[in-house]
Amino acid sequence: MNDADTDADATDRMLLQRMSTGDRAALAVLYRGYHGRLCRFLSRLTRRPDIIEEVINDCFWIAWQKAGNFHGDSRVSTWIMGIAYRCGLKALRQHGDEPVAEDALPENRVPAHNPDEDRELRDWLGKGLVHLSADQRVVVELVYGVGHSLDDVAAIMQCPVGTVKARLFHARVKLRNVLPSLAGNSPMREENAP
Amino acid sequence: MTFQTNSDRDCASAWEAMPWVLQGSAPREQGQALMSHLVHCEECRAEFARQSRLQLAMSLPSDIPLDANVGLKHLLGRLDAPAPRETPGRWRAGWLTRALVAAVLIQALGIGVLGMKLWSEGSLPRYRTLSEATRPAATGSIRVVPDASMKLADWDALLHGLGLQVVGGPNDVGAYTVVPRDSTSTGPHVLQQLRAAHGIRLAEPVTSTP
Repeated sequence: MNDADTDADATDRMLLQRMSTGDRAALAVLYRGYHGRLCRFLSRLTRRPDIIEEVINDCFWIAWQKAGNFHGDSRVSTWIMGIAYRCGLKALRQHGDEPVAEDALPENRVPAHNPDEDRELRDWLGKGLVHLSADQRVVVELVYGVGHSLDDVAAIMQCPVGTVKARLFHARVKLRNVLPSLAGNSPMREENAP
Repeated sequence: MTFQTNSDRDCASAWEAMPWVLQGSAPREQGQALMSHLVHCEECRAEFARQSRLQLAMSLPSDIPLDANVGLKHLLGRLDAPAPRETPGRWRAGWLTRALVAAVLIQALGIGVLGMKLWSEGSLPRYRTLSEATRPAATGSIRVVPDASMKLADWDALLHGLGLQVVGGPNDVGAYTVVPRDSTSTGPHVLQQLRAAHGIRLAEPVTSTP
């Protein structure tokens, strides 16, 4: 955990402590702070916006109720992502699993730095993710998207570290086999950077 | 791997290190070892480029449009709701459980009543095998053969007058089995009246053992 992560976790703990006393302003700050990453994380499980919002609110409903019980055994982000993961699985059981479908991308998506570049990158990623299981997509998101360690991912998914390693390994092998090779090329953004 | 100077072990170590080097969480020595390896291994270099692009793609913001303020408003409204949302589900589950328990109890009660009824009917089976002897006739039974010319109305009036009812027949020879309607044994006078009645060809008491 670097200094930025440490500072962010300290802030999150303070917000949780205030939430435990019924401070709704602290809840609002934490909610807005996590909304983006939870939205992206849950989009690896389902593409339905209504389910994603429902899961995010279920997650923060639990966080609001249990804020006083958080003892700091892990980072707040690990705790919240773990709650979101379990709420997401529960929602999938209720609504049915849906594979990632890139053709379902909405037109009015979040404005990007370079829309054409982002679209190409998303298309490239989507071709790989459709070959992964939901658990493999979640592991890839937590490691590459959020930046969690193996221990954090194991805590979030409530499984042994060895299981996380296996899921990550198989996900990487699948992605290597299906995604176009970029041998000798640096990432596109670096090439196009001024 | 690509070059003979690179062992499989180096490639495996490079493969292991890539996500954590990209995260910036790997130890400095591990990062340096990876970079040194990439200089000589084209395949791992391609994989690292793919991994870098994967990290870039995964870090793009969600493409699903969701307004945090709208979601927060819904959440705050939920906090203000008088009862948690789980309550209806629990209530439905509790109601369903109670209904199922009640159904099981009613079934058990019905089975018990049916069992008692069957028990009280005695142990005589309701069926009879072909090899079994004919069921013994009731006490006081009389076998009567009316004349073929006897009218039905006369037959009915005779039986009614003597307090008899038909419980069997006609058999192959046209004989009917009659018994007293009020379960009292038929006296000799009934038998005599039957024999004396017009249109009766035969009237004989039935004995249980031939």
